[in-house]
Amino acid sequence: MSPRRIGAIARRIAQQFRHDPRTLALLFVVPLFIIALLAWILGAQQAMEVRVVVVDPTPGGRIAAALATAGTEHGITSVTTAASAEEAEALLRDDSADVALIVPADLIGGASGGASGTAPPTLTVMTPGVNPGSDGTAVAAVQRSLGAALAAVLPGSVTFPTVVHVTVYGSPDATTLDTFAPVFIGFFAYFFVFLLTGVSFLRERLGGTLERLLATPVTRGEIVSGYSLGFGAFASLQVAVLLAFVILQVQIPSIGPLPAFAIGLGVPSAGSPLLAYAVALLLALGAVNLGIFLSTFARTELQVIQFIPLVIVPQGLLGGIFWPVEQLPPFLQVVARLMPVTYAIEGLRAVMIVGADLTSRVLQVDLAFLAGVAILLVALATRTIRRQVV
Amino acid sequence: MAVAATSPAIQASGLTKTFGKVVAVDGVDLALERGRIYGALGPNGSGKTTLIRLLTGLARPTAGYASILGLRMPSREALARIGYMTQSDGVYPELTVGENLRFFASMYGSAGGDAGREMLDLVELSDRLATPAYELSGGLRRRLSLACALAHRPSVVFLDEPTVGVDPALRVQFWAYFRRLASDGTTLLVSSHVLDEADRCDDLVFMRAGRIIARGSGAELRSQAGTDDLEDAFLRLAGAAAEPGAEREPGAERER
Repeated sequence: MSPRRIGAIARRIAQQFRHDPRTLALLFVVPLFIIALLAWILGAQQAMEVRVVVVDPTPGGRIAAALATAGTEHGITSVTTAASAEEAEALLRDDSADVALIVPADLIGGASGGASGTAPPTLTVMTPGVNPGSDGTAVAAVQRSLGAALAAVLPGSVTFPTVVHVTVYGSPDATTLDTFAPVFIGFFAYFFVFLLTGVSFLRERLGGTLERLLATPVTRGEIVSGYSLGFGAFASLQVAVLLAFVILQVQIPSIGPLPAFAIGLGVPSAGSPLLAYAVALLLALGAVNLGIFLSTFARTELQVIQFIPLVIVPQGLLGGIFWPVEQLPPFLQVVARLMPVTYAIEGLRAVMIVGADLTSRVLQVDLAFLAGVAILLVALATRTIRRQVV
Repeated sequence: MAVAATSPAIQASGLTKTFGKVVAVDGVDLALERGRIYGALGPNGSGKTTLIRLLTGLARPTAGYASILGLRMPSREALARIGYMTQSDGVYPELTVGENLRFFASMYGSAGGDAGREMLDLVELSDRLATPAYELSGGLRRRLSLACALAHRPSVVFLDEPTVGVDPALRVQFWAYFRRLASDGTTLLVSSHVLDEADRCDDLVFMRAGRIIARGSGAELRSQAGTDDLEDAFLRLAGAAAEPGAEREPGAERER
């Protein structure tokens, strides 16, 4: 191993970046842009206005009126009544309501009678079933308001207790952004670094520079080390920029006609940002060597792009970004547990949300697995670079 | 260095390379002396590039072996003293002329100082140090490629079609420089399908279908074939070596 040759390869990669501002932008500006976009969507999401139609058996629509009162703080903006379930369904069909609550006529009798042996009354909630997200919001709004509404209507004046939500980690009013932002730091580092190394190394193979490189006394270990150092340096810069953007927030006061605005997301990190940095960097080092390794199996740049749905997308789906790994079907859980992104996401969340430090068992496993994958991929990448290919 | 001064610069023994059923190089024996310019001539697909890749240790022979300066290939020690100009340009398009040159020099562990500057003057790229390689014309990139192969002052040089796309005036300068290198003790093996360059070599090997069909100086080959024209000589010798009517186009091309 000659440090001088490794350094020369790393320096060459930096020079290539310097002459290629668009790729630099891909590495630094694009992830910031996407995370900012995501923060905008999640942070300033328009509150859904829930319109409820109630099939109300009580005289004068007392349940509907009580629901309207109780529902104002849960996003219910209008409550109308319908004579029958069919009429309520018609209103859902022509989008005059978002959710229908069908109260059976025996509710009042059944609830107040309380005779043992009679089945408890059933309330039906009907939604259009087109968009599960908005259906869920509407049903939740009705359910949250229902207790108070029924208490006001039912005889016997039952007092419903108030439910207060507290959390072990973070705060109950944590936005989705707080849990998503740490994850995207890792995923972007993985994705862009893989793409850049894959294409870059393929171009070495196609452009004849690898052949020429192998005609020098360089060893393949030096090539892989040089690549890891060069791309690793850019990946570590990328992770640092992303982390700073996610954690910090700088308020810019209004200047002249410009309104005041903030740069950065200001997502709190419970644990050390340095640990989060280490997790993302280990993942990115694996990505460098995955790129070198997979470039062997591509003959064109387009074929490197074809690895994205094969290698990157499944990790995005199974890695725990959207659904916890524990909720996946058992077989897919096993698959997810073989993927580095899964461990990086777990580690980043452990550090940034739970505040894990190096004594944490989970984080130890995550770091060990990521380091193991990185070493394995270095070995695989080294094997694919052979002086005597055939 | 434990290299006997007497061992040939380039040696091959029964060197054979097959790709599936195709025999690219077929039992080539060579012993090329130091300080001479050798030309490997033959049509496209005759095995010139594969032969060079076998000699430099970039391809693994199916049978036989190659050694450079007495070192059995593949050998990193030998590679440090070899210069190889590939048929493709093999330079980094995003890097400038100077960055390309420095990068390859550093792979050989030399700073690419004096020899690099001398090379840049020779290939007339000194005033383009800061130009990215992708902005160079094809001929200029070829010159840069040559400079990258020679900047570390190698003892054995393989040049695969070095003058393709290079204008005639510069071609003359290239050959004058090759001659100067040879007189300093450097051994050069130049592959070409341009036969009018052949007479600038000390010795020639004619290749066809992976075999060496004739070897010797230009004059020897002409008298052997009984013609004054080297192209005719190649065709006659190739015809003599071939099965009658086995190949439709045995001739070497004049220019691409």
